[in-house]
Amino acid sequence: MYAVEMEHITKKFGDFVAVKDLSLKIPRGAMFGLLGPNGAGKTTSIRMMLNIIIPDSGTVAVLGKALDETTKPKIGYLPEDRGLYPKMKVGEVLEFFAEIKGVARSIAPKSIDRWLAKFELSEWKNKKVEQLSKGMQQKIQFIVTVVHDPDLIILDEPFGGLDPINTKLVKDVMLELRAEGKTIIFSTHRMEQVEMICDDICLINRGEAVLQGRLHEIKRQYGKNTILLDYEGTIAFLQGSPEIEKIDDYGRSAEIRLKEKADAQEVLKRLTGRVRVNKFEIQEPSLNTIFIEKVGRSEQ
Amino acid sequence: MKKIWIIIKREYLQHVRTKTFVIVTVLGPILMIGITVIPALLMISSKGEKSTLAVVDGTREIQSDFAAKLSEFKMGDGSPKYTLAEIAPSADSAAQKLELGRSVMAGTYTGYVYIPADVLTGGTAEYASRHTSDLDKIKVLNQALNSVVVGKRLKTEGLDPAKIAEYTRPVRLDTIKVSEKGQERDTGGSFIVTFVMVMILYMTMVIYGSMILRGVLEEKTNRVVEIVLSSLRPFQLMMGKILGIALVGLTQYAIWASFGFLVSQYGGSIIGAIAPAAKSSGFAIASIPFYVFIYFIVFFLLGFFLFAALYAAVGSAVNNEKEAQQMAFPVTMCLIIPIMIMQYVIKSPNSSASVILSLIPFFAPILMLQRITIIMPPVAQVAGSIGLLIITTVGMIWLAGKIYRVGILMTGKKPSLPEILKWIRYK
Repeated sequence: MYAVEMEHITKKFGDFVAVKDLSLKIPRGAMFGLLGPNGAGKTTSIRMMLNIIIPDSGTVAVLGKALDETTKPKIGYLPEDRGLYPKMKVGEVLEFFAEIKGVARSIAPKSIDRWLAKFELSEWKNKKVEQLSKGMQQKIQFIVTVVHDPDLIILDEPFGGLDPINTKLVKDVMLELRAEGKTIIFSTHRMEQVEMICDDICLINRGEAVLQGRLHEIKRQYGKNTILLDYEGTIAFLQGSPEIEKIDDYGRSAEIRLKEKADAQEVLKRLTGRVRVNKFEIQEPSLNTIFIEKVGRSEQ
Repeated sequence: MKKIWIIIKREYLQHVRTKTFVIVTVLGPILMIGITVIPALLMISSKGEKSTLAVVDGTREIQSDFAAKLSEFKMGDGSPKYTLAEIAPSADSAAQKLELGRSVMAGTYTGYVYIPADVLTGGTAEYASRHTSDLDKIKVLNQALNSVVVGKRLKTEGLDPAKIAEYTRPVRLDTIKVSEKGQERDTGGSFIVTFVMVMILYMTMVIYGSMILRGVLEEKTNRVVEIVLSSLRPFQLMMGKILGIALVGLTQYAIWASFGFLVSQYGGSIIGAIAPAAKSSGFAIASIPFYVFIYFIVFFLLGFFLFAALYAAVGSAVNNEKEAQQMAFPVTMCLIIPIMIMQYVIKSPNSSASVILSLIPFFAPILMLQRITIIMPPVAQVAGSIGLLIITTVGMIWLAGKIYRVGILMTGKKPSLPEILKWIRYK
């Protein structure tokens, strides 16, 4: 049983192909990351899941059937382009959105108060939205997304513009919601977030899925052929070493890809005595590396 | 339906609670009274100011009659309005005028009237004053001088001025409106009622149309549109907004109407007490047949929704108010054109041009209603225009829904007309 099932979806805007023959199966209860560089077609795909944009061809099923008015209340959606009615009071805005999602007026206030308390915004309930800081408004927007207790939560760039404390708060809430059995789909181009919390991913580039599946399986495919290195000094001398495929040097740390069957110990030998090694770990490649490689390859 | 209701409720409360709404609703009637009643009261109650005029009578035979004529004009307290000082004409008229001019500047006189010796044979008299914008006063002086001079001329010819006045008395032409109710005297009142009805229609469509335009833009500029659309259909949002704002308008009109009712009940006696003249001005209004009000409501509602849909479509297609002003121009033109050709339709309500123009759905609310108030057109024409208007309004709401659905999510550059037409064809 899938939360979202897209089959052979194509969408063009004029001559521009935003999404090309995209098929996605998102299992229920998953924490699903939709990745891709800017303009890859993430937002368009999400809008098609919600029937805000209608695909040129292909089918979309949400929670087991084509999206209709009875399904809409079961979905919570945080758009990338998000705003609130600035002249309304926080409590009124939340009530309004809860109501159009079909929450009974008798239940709405309880849910609203609970969420406001969770995000430490209770005292702002009777303030106008425009009086809130941007970060607070973003938290209210997140509450709008979940206030009606949806089964499927779709978040387009949920961490965009949040400070580290609020990022953690939102991330924790997302994990809590998943623990309650909700399906969460979120798009991002920040790999470290995906790596931390996702079960499944789909990497989109230029409207096409280039990589799809369970995150740990994808990483395993790449094998433990990567050295994560923390160092002091300079490692420019490693360039051209026979066992090294590629170096991503960040100055104090580096990700070194080995050639097939090369031995990591050879690299360690080269390093000793020339730089101070603080960490030397043999790992699967980071999602970031996979991302850059995949996107870079399809770019050629 | 329930969701449309939620949108209506939000839209309504949002507008009604603004300070602008309260101010406009409360101050509106006060301003209306201010604009219409106060100048009228001033005109009626003002008797002007006293004038001291120097009169130089070159003929030496006009002054006394002229003074007698002017003595009829009194101030509120009964004292004469015009005080005349006779000044003997001197040989050098230019020098005398210069001298008098100086006295006027010094404030000795309000002004002077110079009657030349040849005034009876066609000479031109002069009135000089520091300000010459009091047209009423100039008219009074001119008429007084005229009647005296003409009287003198007639006497010279041996005619009796009283008889002549009798012979040349103007004929009064009363206008009578013939209708099913019989005959009634009408001094232009029914024209004013027509005008007021058409203006209410026009103003409502312009004011609330642009309110809808801005309202539709609200979701777009506040970027809440996607959240709203993930909860309901675009059509529900559009209809909710249009109906919500329509209700705001109705509320405003209800408040104004009840205010107007109070004024009509008690206002007359207030105005009457201040200015008895207003009551006896002989202003007569032929009574308006009841069916006119029914048609007014029909055309009002249809017209409102037609233009509401048009403005909603425009609002959804643009990105900001500046673009909205440009794109709304053709829509506003559809409202301005009938107002411009109104004069023509009043003059010839049954000409073929009037008939055709009043059948065009975009003009029908104003022009057909106007024809109905002037003289009831053939039933087929009225039914035809209402039928066309209903079809167009329903079609326009459907079309606006299509444009809205695509337009509301569009951001970035302003769409061209061909692009908007393409949106209509989208699945």
